[in-house]
Amino acid sequence: MSIDGRSFAAGQAFLLSCKTYWTRVVYPAVREEYQAGRNLEESVLYQYYCWLERHLQRFKYSGRYGLQPYHAQQRQRLEQELRDAEVELAAKPEYPDYYTRIDIHQHPGGVWSDPIAGFVYERGARSTTPLAGGRHRDLHDRLTEAALEICSKPSRVLDMGCGFGKSTRPFYETLKDAEVEGVDLSAPCLRLAARDAAAAGAKRVRFRQMDCARTDYADASFDLVTSTMLLHEMPPEVVERTLAEAHRVLRPGAAMVHLDFLPGDDPFERLIHFGHSKRNNEPFMEPLARMDLPALLKKLGFRDIRIEPFEEADGVLEPGYRSWRFPWTVISARR
Amino acid sequence: MIPEQTFFPDPALDRAFGVVMALATEVWVLRDRLAALETQLAGRALVDRAALSREPADDAVREEREAFVAHLLQNLLGAQQAKGPR
Repeated sequence: MSIDGRSFAAGQAFLLSCKTYWTRVVYPAVREEYQAGRNLEESVLYQYYCWLERHLQRFKYSGRYGLQPYHAQQRQRLEQELRDAEVELAAKPEYPDYYTRIDIHQHPGGVWSDPIAGFVYERGARSTTPLAGGRHRDLHDRLTEAALEICSKPSRVLDMGCGFGKSTRPFYETLKDAEVEGVDLSAPCLRLAARDAAAAGAKRVRFRQMDCARTDYADASFDLVTSTMLLHEMPPEVVERTLAEAHRVLRPGAAMVHLDFLPGDDPFERLIHFGHSKRNNEPFMEPLARMDLPALLKKLGFRDIRIEPFEEADGVLEPGYRSWRFPWTVISARR
Repeated sequence: MIPEQTFFPDPALDRAFGVVMALATEVWVLRDRLAALETQLAGRALVDRAALSREPADDAVREEREAFVAHLLQNLLGAQQAKGPR
């Protein structure tokens, strides 16, 4: 039986309201218990915290009002929408084992295997950080601003792991004269990115299917390499190869700027973050957090290495901020 | 099948709470639809919202409600409804 649009929207809105409550009320209450010296393994509240984190996401994607079945029932129309998208796909795409072994974010089939996966992911990403709400795009605008402070007028930009193009968009909208290249493994996401860029009238952006750890770009061919929420999706050896690839394609003196999640040393923050890693099917968050990135970047030949907290929305870095958030971090360096 | 992660000491609670949340989602979807329906009907003067919201003078649905409650709570009695092995 198909689900009508109103019921789908109401079901998703309910789940988002639950997630918002979890973010604003349940998380601070768990933190209070932790700070009071309570063993969280024995805390009923923490058990519900964990349950909600995992299963609200499951319902969001897979339930009766889930993103996957709702989009699947519109499959024909959605595939038609992508028919004319201009995108360079690999003749024989090779997907690494780490990429296909788990369904990332609890998205059934992952972001790559279903032709409509880009639509599902795009819709899901709108409510990933509930408190950012409709202003979620701010996050990408903010990273673009931060990147352009480090590298003011790039003529060639590479967005690694560009997904459905949300992170690429503020670059091609801000830098009208620059050539912007977005690469990703997911054909369904690239098609959506290309469709949206064409709709926005962007002329100098290309979307290409490629493993960002092994691109076909010439040495020293970019002024800026960026990524958003990419590094935590890869095992450490691939993170290393990706950063080495960024170094190879950057011109001497040019910069790379990555936005990702790195918890600080606080044990509670690490417990919450590593737990999220498991509960949300993102197993490489924890290994990334355990990597010695400054040492790695130095070894790869980078300089001006900076690893700094990122303010994804106003006020989130204030000491009194209590709601759950990702430990957003900007990792930047120059070749 | 890959077994789902569990968070409670008794995995039965993990599953039962899933049922609770699924039902809660249905309740909200129904409330949302009912509100939309009322708005449309009131817009066409097919329903008197004030009358609909007023405390009713008599309990016209008592019998139906009690049957609903019996259906719900008879489960607690633990009695076989058709003779069979104990």
